[in-house]
Amino acid sequence: MGPSAPSAFDKVVQILFFSGKTELAVALCGFLGLMALLLVVGRVPVSYNVRNLMVRWKTTAMTGLAFTLVVSLMTVMLAFVNGMYKLTEKSGQPGNVMVLADGATDESFSTLSFVDSSDVERQPGVLKNAKGQALCSKEVYVIVNQEIATTPGERPRRRFVQVRGVEDPEIAGEVHALALKPGGQWFSEAGVEESDAAGAGGASNVVIQAVVGNGLAAELGNDRPSRMPLQVGDTFPLGARTWKVTGILDSTGSTFDSEVWAKRSRVGEDFGKANIFSSYLIRTEGPEAAKRLTAELKDYKKAALSPQPETEYFSKQGETGKQFLIAIIVVAIVMAVGGVFGVMNTMFAAISQRTKDIGVLRILGYARWQILISFLLESLVLALLGGLVGCAVGMLADGWTARSVVSSGPGGGKSVVLQMVVSGEILMTGMLLSLGMGALGGLVPALSAMRLRALESLR
Amino acid sequence: MISLLDTLGKYVLIIFKNVRRNLLRTILTSMGTMVLVLVITLIWSVLHFLDRAMSDKASNFKVIVTERWQIPSRMPWAYGASLRDAAATGPDDVHPKDSCTWQFYGGTLDPKNRTRENSLFFICMQPEKIPTMVDELEDLQGERMAELKRLTDKMQSQRNGVLVGSGVLSRLKKKVGERMTITSFNYKGIDLEVEILGIPPEGTRHDMSCFMNADYLNAAFDDYKSSHKNQPHPLADKTLGLVWLRVDTKADYERVAAQIVSSPLYANPAVKCESASSAVTTFLESLKDIFWAMRWLLAPAVLVTLSLVIANAISISVRERRMEIAVLKVLGFRPAHVLGLILGEAVLIGALSGLASAGGAYLLVNRVFGGINFPIAFFSKFFIPVEAVGWGLAVGTLTAFAGSIVPAWSARAVKVADVFAKVA
Repeated sequence: MGPSAPSAFDKVVQILFFSGKTELAVALCGFLGLMALLLVVGRVPVSYNVRNLMVRWKTTAMTGLAFTLVVSLMTVMLAFVNGMYKLTEKSGQPGNVMVLADGATDESFSTLSFVDSSDVERQPGVLKNAKGQALCSKEVYVIVNQEIATTPGERPRRRFVQVRGVEDPEIAGEVHALALKPGGQWFSEAGVEESDAAGAGGASNVVIQAVVGNGLAAELGNDRPSRMPLQVGDTFPLGARTWKVTGILDSTGSTFDSEVWAKRSRVGEDFGKANIFSSYLIRTEGPEAAKRLTAELKDYKKAALSPQPETEYFSKQGETGKQFLIAIIVVAIVMAVGGVFGVMNTMFAAISQRTKDIGVLRILGYARWQILISFLLESLVLALLGGLVGCAVGMLADGWTARSVVSSGPGGGKSVVLQMVVSGEILMTGMLLSLGMGALGGLVPALSAMRLRALESLR
Repeated sequence: MISLLDTLGKYVLIIFKNVRRNLLRTILTSMGTMVLVLVITLIWSVLHFLDRAMSDKASNFKVIVTERWQIPSRMPWAYGASLRDAAATGPDDVHPKDSCTWQFYGGTLDPKNRTRENSLFFICMQPEKIPTMVDELEDLQGERMAELKRLTDKMQSQRNGVLVGSGVLSRLKKKVGERMTITSFNYKGIDLEVEILGIPPEGTRHDMSCFMNADYLNAAFDDYKSSHKNQPHPLADKTLGLVWLRVDTKADYERVAAQIVSSPLYANPAVKCESASSAVTTFLESLKDIFWAMRWLLAPAVLVTLSLVIANAISISVRERRMEIAVLKVLGFRPAHVLGLILGEAVLIGALSGLASAGGAYLLVNRVFGGINFPIAFFSKFFIPVEAVGWGLAVGTLTAFAGSIVPAWSARAVKVADVFAKVA
């Protein structure tokens, strides 16, 4: 895909999930500062408003609860999308170059010939490890349709499992910056072993050795009666074979947490990709070197390749996150509009009940604009309290895990287990939404309170 | 009976008058109800569609045959012919009522600067099967079906003729009748020149679908072979994505599945046979948590918010009208009558607002906006089902009832002596 200028939506994504802390903090402080300024400059009887909120505590609680629900829901939904962005962000290493076949946008559609691109790893700029081996992981990637064991009478169930066949697991681990949990080991050179566990259908007792991502180990563990995550030594069925866990990938919060890794030759042979690679992942010195190598590989003569920095590849996988974000923004706005009507109702009722009070305040010398500020602040205090509780409730979602799909568009995609992340940006957005609702819902009633005439209101 | 109806009529009249008395509050409560019912309608419409897609039909089964172990499914084209007959060989074997194959062809109009805006995906199939085997298009009636058949007939006689969904067409900035040269990104070297014959019927989920004659794609693979020293394209034996079969009953489906799975013709790669609903369920398995949250977190929270908005409005109304309620009691209204009046007001506002919101959403989303663009798995668009009008009415009524029951109960319990003592 060609580069394009960031859209307004991309800027929203950037502010909400990546680097908008300052902008949001400024907006929130501006809002709170404005409230403080109105309070000081207006010299309004806020204690009167606060006492009224306390006297009408049932109405206050119900209106506050509406704020709380809207804000907490939005926080949870944004935490989910944030989890998706963080997942794809953590999956790419800044110094890595991902090489796919020309035209492919996803590993699952990429087909690289063994012969045509054999010397990619010998390109200048490719780092070497202590043993002098090029840090180039040649991989085959397949999405396997796994049949899930069901009880009699239950509908057949399946899940998609990402399987990555790697040529050399140690090099692959180094290039992906992934390590095994203590107690595990990479699969052997052969990639298979004899086992007591029978193969699927009892056909063979040869099992494929595999390393499993932390998230997937928990997911596959759900199929067992104990529901305990898979451990080293456990077996599981996948395709026509039985697979044995030799190690668990240490969690990094990336898409690799949801993958199975095994010997490339075994994966290729079993899933119809015997003589091809899906991708090469190459480690360079850093982001600049990765860009240089990307440019050089675009002119590679032996085969048409599609190289790109790995970070770029994974940032494109955030397409699904964008779809969900749009849906969440629409739902949040519509819910907020509903909330605004609720607040307006409450504030109009508060004003109609306190018409005489307003008359007294006017006679005591309070100007019309001070009455306006007084009632507007009352609505904002309500929004502030409801928003704070909403954020507190929403924070409970931090760290929850959920399954989803990340993809760069229709057709591809990785099934992942992600961790929801409630960030400062999300909490500030929640507070801004709440205060915005309070301001909009309070302004019209406050204007009507301002227009009341002192003597008429006392009659 | 007549006196009962007369009494009821009087009550309804009082309820209407009360609702009209504070028009501002009624309008605000009604608006709040309408927007929140809209959210519920949208959420439930998506869930309702997915639930239906994941449920087995009792008859007229659609069956999908795909590669057994991996996605994307890539089977040899040679599987197609026998699979379309469900590998039936014996006299007692079940033959499908109808069938078609699907191949997928993706490409771009600008290979040097490929973007989402200049890319498109085709479903390559037998054109005559588009009106009989494609979801939603098979249900078209009358003139719309006749128009679709006219287009598919043309596709058969003009092999490079394609149908391009109206959404894709506007994205590509192309018109019916124009020709396009497509550079493939899933079959490198298979570049095709096509002519846009028409668009799939609008107002269906196929605004983003494109259809091509499978013969045209397969002929391109033959041409590739003859122009490359008789060397087939590297992916020539992996072009068949899936085969659709239609059978009468679930029993037939099970027999067809057994025929295919036990056939020695499909060993490498192995194939699987499943009902369309089962295939959809598998694709949506990864999104199950999201649907769970929509169903059990988002929708209930919106319902609670809606009840709160109504409860707030009604409790304010009751507080303001304590004197009036006391007078009603003095005039002979019993507590149950007062309860009925307050509940009646809330339910009236809730029911009418809910009905208006869902009905409005049905018309606006389906007729004006042409569906909700929310791509999930292979569904690009969702429509508001006609049942949603009933949901709106029910949600408005029930949430209004739930929200007003406590304030109405407190109104029922208003003591005449207390109210008048305060006044005195």
